[in-house]
Amino acid sequence: MSGQGQVSFRNIVKMHGEFAALKGVNFDIKPGEFFALLGPSGSGKSTTLRILAGLDAPTAGRVLIDDKDVTSTDARDRDIAMVFQSYALYPHMTVAENIAFPLEMAKLPKSEIAPAVKDAARKVKIDHLLDRKPGQLSGGQQQRCALARAIVRKARLFLLDEPLSNLDAKLRLETRAELKKLQRSLGVTAVYVTHDQEEAMTLADRMAVFMSGEIQQVGTPAEVFARPNSIDIAGFIGNPPMNLVPARYVDGDVIIAGHRLKTTATTAGERDVVVGLRPGALRLAEGGLGARVDLIEDLGDTAVLDLDCAGTMIRMRVADGNIPGEGDTISITARPQDIHLFDPATRRRL
Amino acid sequence: MTAKRVRIIALLAISAVFLLAWAFPIIWSVLNSLKTDSDVLAYPPKLVFTPTLEAYRDVLFGSGSILPNLLSSVIISVGTTVVTMLMAVPAAYALARLRFRGKKFAGFYVLATQMLPPVGIIIPYFLVLRNIGWIDTYQGIILIYLSFSLPFAIWLLVSYFEDIPFEMEEAAYLDGASRLKTLWRIIIPQVRGGIAVTIVFVFLNAWNEFLFAVVLSGNTVRPVTVAMFNFVSVEQTLWAKLAAVSVLAMLPVVVLGVVAQKHIVKGLTVGAVKGGGRR
Repeated sequence: MSGQGQVSFRNIVKMHGEFAALKGVNFDIKPGEFFALLGPSGSGKSTTLRILAGLDAPTAGRVLIDDKDVTSTDARDRDIAMVFQSYALYPHMTVAENIAFPLEMAKLPKSEIAPAVKDAARKVKIDHLLDRKPGQLSGGQQQRCALARAIVRKARLFLLDEPLSNLDAKLRLETRAELKKLQRSLGVTAVYVTHDQEEAMTLADRMAVFMSGEIQQVGTPAEVFARPNSIDIAGFIGNPPMNLVPARYVDGDVIIAGHRLKTTATTAGERDVVVGLRPGALRLAEGGLGARVDLIEDLGDTAVLDLDCAGTMIRMRVADGNIPGEGDTISITARPQDIHLFDPATRRRL
Repeated sequence: MTAKRVRIIALLAISAVFLLAWAFPIIWSVLNSLKTDSDVLAYPPKLVFTPTLEAYRDVLFGSGSILPNLLSSVIISVGTTVVTMLMAVPAAYALARLRFRGKKFAGFYVLATQMLPPVGIIIPYFLVLRNIGWIDTYQGIILIYLSFSLPFAIWLLVSYFEDIPFEMEEAAYLDGASRLKTLWRIIIPQVRGGIAVTIVFVFLNAWNEFLFAVVLSGNTVRPVTVAMFNFVSVEQTLWAKLAAVSVLAMLPVVVLGVVAQKHIVKGLTVGAVKGGGRR
């Protein structure tokens, strides 16, 4: 199905009474892409997916799929498959009947349905469970059944609404990897909604980061991680998240807790800024910013330090073997290219 | 161990008392229906007697046979049930799912009709039916029964429909099903239990109804509940025949109860795993 499944959102607005759930959303998804909609709950990512699926109608704006305006097309005529967060399996049907349902609706002859169902079930490794009812399956098996029902039809778009959130941690990691392989082997365009930045980072080719009804950034996970373009994204992406410290900008340098750090900026002048520092980009160095170690969270191969820099809390990641003691005073610094500058008023990147 | 045994025996004894209190009128009717008229009136009551099917033979095949009345009851009850369900299922689905103007009011109206004392509207109903010439007709009685059974059935079914998660329906739409097909293939199979329960209630209400039947029926359409009183007259009451008719009138209800029981219980367990993958 390559070359199919291209999606464009043009100025989509969704109002719930007075409340704007989406305030003019624009993005494009390329055919075959794994595209994540990432954001905290209530940011509009699920609403976006529902509008794309045709389950909700936008208040304004247009949705294009493969260059065709589908804004007012019924969900069932959009050729879209979806995996719901709750899986939404039909409890009165067996696994096989569940998977066959979209094919039956497409009026495929019975002789074609049976092999297609078997094939889809084999792809997600539940072909031994075809005669069971959903109630007799474990959570992971139900999830696979929902996946099989979505892939059996070979739709041009494959939507996933937080599909992993009901699985336990171990199963979630396994399924995450399989999901990616499955999407690659099918070559289908996938749109994936999640609030888990780690899921989006590992799965997506590109992602759109939602904050309070707007897309604040679209890009590859690496781009968004390396150059978050707002304070909100900076604080959302990465674990532990970026340190965001109010500071003073003076002629290309920033002053944090009385200490001067060089940045890549060259504009002259003075102003208030918010400095973003990744915990992993901070390093120990003589003559740097003085800090007292308040707390150590040892993660085995690395440790996260809570530092008190003259009243400002900064978190830092250090490699094993390099860990100071609690209460020690250390000196830290960061390379100019690792220092992100944001405008405290507009919250945008400078 | 012994304490547990004592408790079980106590529970059994209490259950037995309740069961006897509940079953006594039925047992008494069955016994009376098998007696001759003189045995029925014997005092003290005869517990040992020669059973006879005379009363049954008389009420079924005698001069005042109640067979036509049983048939009337069947037509009225089945008719009421079928029409009620045909209208109540889509109505309940609409009330549970769709957004439309006046939905709140419609929901209230459905309940409000249940609050009227039936006696208060017999006369208006009688006048309405007389004006359209439907007194003593099947369609007349079924129409009047609908005015009670329909709100009741809708009200009962709505809660079953509301229990089905929205996502289930949305999944069906995305799978390519129309709204009607979704209702038929996805929703209704899941509310089977509720539909069975509703059918039983509607049928029983129609079958047992007496007040409206006695006023609105006549010589053509006379359900068994009304016809039974032929055996009660000023001079005497034919207890054995009355009991025999009661037992006959009870039979379909008992059969329905036994058949539907399985469905009702099944409906409850379907609810336990409803939604399949829900947490």
